[in-house]
Amino acid sequence: MKTESWNIEGKSAVSSVGILKAVCKRVPDAAVVLGSGVNVLMDLHDPVAMPFEEVFGIAPTIAGHSGSLVIGRLTEAQDSPLVAVLRGRFHLYEGHNWPVVTLPARVLVEWGVPKLFLTNAAGGLNKSFNVGDLMVLTGYRDFLNPEHKETGLIAAVSKDATACSNSLTAKILEIGKKLSESDQSFVPMQQGIYAACLGPSYETMAEIEMLRRLNADAVGMSTVPELLTTDGTNTQSAAISVVTNVWKEGEAMGGHEEVLEASKQASLRLDKLFHALLTNS
Amino acid sequence: MELKGAKLIDFTGKVVGAQHFESFSDEVTKAVRSHSGNKVAVVIDPGFGFDAEAPHLVADHINLTGTNPLMGPNDACGERFPVVNDIYLTEDMPGKILPAIQRGILGGLKHGVAPSASEIAKLKTLGAEFFSYNLAQTMIVAAHSGWKVIGIVVPSRLPLDGALMNEIKSLVKEEIV
Repeated sequence: MKTESWNIEGKSAVSSVGILKAVCKRVPDAAVVLGSGVNVLMDLHDPVAMPFEEVFGIAPTIAGHSGSLVIGRLTEAQDSPLVAVLRGRFHLYEGHNWPVVTLPARVLVEWGVPKLFLTNAAGGLNKSFNVGDLMVLTGYRDFLNPEHKETGLIAAVSKDATACSNSLTAKILEIGKKLSESDQSFVPMQQGIYAACLGPSYETMAEIEMLRRLNADAVGMSTVPELLTTDGTNTQSAAISVVTNVWKEGEAMGGHEEVLEASKQASLRLDKLFHALLTNS
Repeated sequence: MELKGAKLIDFTGKVVGAQHFESFSDEVTKAVRSHSGNKVAVVIDPGFGFDAEAPHLVADHINLTGTNPLMGPNDACGERFPVVNDIYLTEDMPGKILPAIQRGILGGLKHGVAPSASEIAKLKTLGAEFFSYNLAQTMIVAAHSGWKVIGIVVPSRLPLDGALMNEIKSLVKEEIV
């Protein structure tokens, strides 16, 4: 029976790790969280797949998020990197609370996964961006943290963005640069500030303008909870946005279906990036 | 703008007295959602932070409340990820008073938050021209249900202009609430 996925508690991180350890003896070398419509690493070897409901006690509610965890090797070789791919995530806009939204990241920290790559579908604020661009997060703005519910956003818009300046982010930029130099089909990646907003309604034009004045380059509804959760732990995290639309005055905005379509094209490049990253990191 | 057949949601006495959006959500959002479609909602909210102490027409909003009324399971009256651009009616207003009202961008604040002068100055650099506590959230619910909206923010200290109210009421055929 499918569990109603709002207003319920997930499993504890410890019990989720217990379930994972029972089916996978080796701790993965890296984990990858896939956002709306992002389909990469579909060809893992000897994959073990489990629905989110089985691992976390909850299933996502959103089309485009299948909600499964797949663990497998990057190549056929037995000593090939072991990767855990989380297809989907939990969002605050679904009505989940902070402990549920951060549960998958807390489980990965508890399990001892050393690297976490986060992806998301984002709206492009930077007018030089194009639909389908990949943007490496070099910083973020957090409008999701539960403390904002108590105080509103005045403090959040008054402070500077938080930098994503770890070595994993630097590695993504380095590998991405090499790929774009050696592979004509690999469009050079963008980098910039990601603004995490609650949703589920898309931003108004006035909100888009505010985020631009705050020097945000892309906007979405996720990822920052995972970055905050792994901060200061032994799990290093970095994030990449797939730019699925770019807000320009006088142009109609796309809906969720268009978000999914744009994500497909970028997924091909992202797949190359992850294969290179996981082989070389 | 075609307002024939438009219906008025009269929030008088509800928005003004509301402590939280939720305090009128059940009754009012049900009314909005049960009449989803090509409709117009008129919402009047007291506000502050104006450059000129006069009623303002909302051209757009910035939701600074830290919450969104659509969080949780999606109500089937609208999409999961609604586009809420271009929901405010400001052009071609009929009558004498409405066409002349100053337009601007509303900053929707969490109820009870009283920004300092420096915070107001900061928010103005980000685009908010005046502030209120209820309207932005209400508009998101209305837009999700497929409504176009006329948002009017009136300085808290000013009494509601009877002539303005009469003009708004003359626009519509039927009152829902």
